[in-house]
Amino acid sequence: MRRGPDLRRLYDGHSQSLYAFLLNLTRDENDTRDLLQDIFIKLARDPKLLAGVRDERAFLIRLAHNATIDLIRRRGTRDKTREQFTAEGISPFAPDANPDEQTFRVALADALAELPTEQRAVVHLKLWEGLTFEEIANTLEIPQNTAASRYRYGLDKLRECLRPLYDEMKKAE
Amino acid sequence: MNEEMERFERRLQHQPLRQVPIEWREEILSATGKVGTARRAVRGRLGEASLPKFRDWLSALLWPNPQAWAGLAAVWILIFAMNFSARDTSPMVAEKNSRPSSEAVVELRQQQRLLAELIGSRETQATGPSKTFDRQPRSERGFEMMTT
Repeated sequence: MRRGPDLRRLYDGHSQSLYAFLLNLTRDENDTRDLLQDIFIKLARDPKLLAGVRDERAFLIRLAHNATIDLIRRRGTRDKTREQFTAEGISPFAPDANPDEQTFRVALADALAELPTEQRAVVHLKLWEGLTFEEIANTLEIPQNTAASRYRYGLDKLRECLRPLYDEMKKAE
Repeated sequence: MNEEMERFERRLQHQPLRQVPIEWREEILSATGKVGTARRAVRGRLGEASLPKFRDWLSALLWPNPQAWAGLAAVWILIFAMNFSARDTSPMVAEKNSRPSSEAVVELRQQQRLLAELIGSRETQATGPSKTFDRQPRSERGFEMMTT
C-alpha cells in the first residue's frame, strides 16, 4: 500500500517559513491559519502531490503563494477596502522590548504592507528565506529577471519609506 | 551606494519573524488526521475490505479442482475466439445480403401495379366517364370540338 507524506515532519520542518510568508502576504492571522491548514489538508487528501518533488520547501511556498493569490482575488472582487485593512493588520515581525527596534519593525511592517503582493512575496523570499533569484523564480514560476526587478523595486520603496528612521538610527549608532 | 544598500538589506534580514503559534500544530494536524482517516475509511469500504472477501469466495468456488476450472475457461475463450474469427462482417457481404432478390422485385412491382389499378378504378368510379375523355391529348380535344 502506498503511504502518504509524513505530515508531522512536514509541519515541523516548514510551518514556520510558511506562517511567516503567509502572514506577510495576508497580514491577517485568521487568514494565515486557514491557508496553512488548507495546505496541509490538501497534502493529506492527495498524498501523491509531493511525489517526485525535490525541494519540499519551494513546493510548499508555491502552494502558499497560489492560495494567497486566490484568497486576495476572491476578496478583491468582494471587498475593495481589503488592502487598506490588511495594511493595518498584524506585523510579521516578532515584537521587541527595545523601543527603537520596535519602532523600526513597526515602520518596516507598514512599509512592506505598502508594496504590491507580488513584490512583497519576492522581497520576503529573498530577505527572510534567503533564496536566490533563480530559486525565487522557480518557486513563484516567474522569469528570473522579473524576480530580480520586483526585488529591486520593492527594496527601493522600503528604503524610501524607512529612510528618515533608518538615518536617525544610524546616527545614533 | 551599493555598500549602503547592502547594509540596509542586512539590517532587514536580521529582523526576527513572528513565531507560528504552538497550539496550531495540534489543531492543524488533527484536522489533516480527520481527512486522512475519512480517506482511508472510504478506500477501505470500496476496495480493501471487499477484495479479500472476493478472493475467499473465488477460492471456495474453485477449490475442488482449480485446473479443471481454468481449462474450462480456456475452452470457452477458444470457442468465443473461433466464433468471432468465423463471422464475416465485411461491408460487401452486408451489401449483398441487403440487396433484394429479382423475384422479390417482380413481386413488389406486381403489387405496385395492382395497387395503382385499384386506386385508378376507384377514381374512375368516383368521377365518371368524363375523366377518360379528359385524358386525351389537348390537340385532339380541340380538333374534336371543332368538328362537332
